[in-house]
Amino acid sequence: MRKSFIAENPSVLWFLAALSLFTLTVVLLSEATGTAMISTSFVKTLGKTLCLCLIAIAMDVVWGYCGILSLGHFAFFGIGGYAIGMWLMYARTETIVLESLQNQVIPPTPQEVSDAIGNQIFGVVGSSEFPLIWAFADSLFLQLLMVVLIPGLLALVFGWLAFRSRVTGVYLSILTQAMTLALSLYLFQNDSGLRGNNGLSGLQNIPGFEETSQATISIVFFLASSVALGAGYVFFAWIVTGKMGSVIKGIRDNEARVRFLGYHVESYKLFVFTVTAVISGIAGALYYPQAGIINPGEIAPIASIYLAVWVAIGGRGRLYGAVIGAAFVSLLSSWFTGGGAPDIDLGVYRIQWTDWWLVLLGVSFVAVTLFFPKGIGGLFDYLVRKPS
Amino acid sequence: MSMLLEVSGVSVTFDGFRAINNLSINFAEAELRAIIGPNGAGKTTFMDIVTGKTRPDEGTVIWGEKNISLLGLSESQIAMEGIGRKFQKPTVFEDQTVRQNLAMALKNPRGPFAVLMHSKTTANAARIESIAEEIGLTQSLTRRAGELSHGQKQWLEIGMLLAQEPRLLLVDEPAAGMTVEEREKTTDILRKAAETRAVVVVEHDMEFVRRLDCKVTVLHEGSVLAEGSLDHVTSNQTVVDVYLGRGHA
Repeated sequence: MRKSFIAENPSVLWFLAALSLFTLTVVLLSEATGTAMISTSFVKTLGKTLCLCLIAIAMDVVWGYCGILSLGHFAFFGIGGYAIGMWLMYARTETIVLESLQNQVIPPTPQEVSDAIGNQIFGVVGSSEFPLIWAFADSLFLQLLMVVLIPGLLALVFGWLAFRSRVTGVYLSILTQAMTLALSLYLFQNDSGLRGNNGLSGLQNIPGFEETSQATISIVFFLASSVALGAGYVFFAWIVTGKMGSVIKGIRDNEARVRFLGYHVESYKLFVFTVTAVISGIAGALYYPQAGIINPGEIAPIASIYLAVWVAIGGRGRLYGAVIGAAFVSLLSSWFTGGGAPDIDLGVYRIQWTDWWLVLLGVSFVAVTLFFPKGIGGLFDYLVRKPS
Repeated sequence: MSMLLEVSGVSVTFDGFRAINNLSINFAEAELRAIIGPNGAGKTTFMDIVTGKTRPDEGTVIWGEKNISLLGLSESQIAMEGIGRKFQKPTVFEDQTVRQNLAMALKNPRGPFAVLMHSKTTANAARIESIAEEIGLTQSLTRRAGELSHGQKQWLEIGMLLAQEPRLLLVDEPAAGMTVEEREKTTDILRKAAETRAVVVVEHDMEFVRRLDCKVTVLHEGSVLAEGSLDHVTSNQTVVDVYLGRGHA
């Protein structure tokens, strides 16, 4: 284990300090544990934002550091959400079904219970059978394992095929986008076994904690997201500092040179792609219980493109840049699209931000790419530049 | 004498153009060799074949005492076998410091997990220092490679090759764009490197080749036209015709 990576990367300590301060502030101002100045729904928004920051740093490692513009990382995020959602939905439906069958004269057989749960969950898509992929849905532990395993395996197989064939640049981006589109289209089908376009819902209700208020649950998830982001930041900082960082930045800047130095470039890309996919899955598993619902639209290619936009606006190749970009743009986005921004009346035309926000985002993206290629995070360079 | 690298009967065709035509060429251990030839003679393609970038249509490339065929190996495997390659354009990692560039090239385990767990050792630091001294960049170790001058970048790349500890070094036009003093220094670096390993220099510049003072192989239309000392090959009438015919002096 390298000891000095934090010394080489002072942003880690700054980031952890800022994250702790932010977390503490939210906890003190929340409804459950503080002065209730921040509403429960806003605590959830902030918790979700932390999860988006986590997938953004994963995206920054794979794109900003390793040069692989993946337009499919939200697929891994969604898979993580579906994996945890299956358990949440199953366990909660089971509780409800058992309660309703309690008063029957004859105690229900396990088959009857299973049928009733299946009916509840899949009735909406005209089915009551449990598909094979729900085989482990009754076990929290196994579904948590799925959160990590399925994105990891998918990334491993997909990456192995793509990198082995030396697919790079825009072609690789298109392939990753095709992957997420295919997954999303598949999930939209009613017989996909994941309730088609209805997706999984009621995920904010945590089985076993029916009596606990959403205010408390929101704070618990907020804290968990904060810890995950902090740990993810340290983990990725460890990866991108030192020799590993040298090699993956080398791959970004000149793949052939790295190859002729004797490094097996494909293994490195596969490593980075898979590790970031796993972290994306974890971020998704923390995000969707706070969102309450997941449906195939979440995995649509546009989500992964937004992810790239956040990282570009925040500043590629610096982890804190990805965090700033994701937090700034996603919060701003919910402010504009949520009707927070006042409409501008021009007399002949009324600018409604719910429609025009995307235009504004697009223009900012182009402007950042053209004029500030280092993004918002690049501003820190001016602040910390030592006089030489 | 046993050969380090034996290339025999190699041919490559690109879209009907025969870039390498039944080429046979051998290199001994600890030899300095210059390869010259007009544009399109197949010099760079020859390097591509040896380093695994291009697969020949026919012929064999045999390496080392164990007579390994290089044709089945990937670029990184060939590099690990001990063949280092310097590109025509200086290719260093401009975003990283000279020290980081050299550290990446140092002969160490190359797998992702070994690299992830890699920690700095004094032995590695000493190797980096000694290479930096050899290429005259001791003062620049902490500078970003992108800030170096053109000549310094070329030396850094040669230094990275030396750090790999290859047994064969393929160097493509090292003197291009260099000042006279820089050329002299480059000659010194290469000659010193050739004391312990084979160094093959592809070059256009006759003056530079003369300074290297080594055996010269002339390539023309994908095969060997002449071989021997520089005086020997330049007195060869065909060589003179080929060069003059192409507008080279």
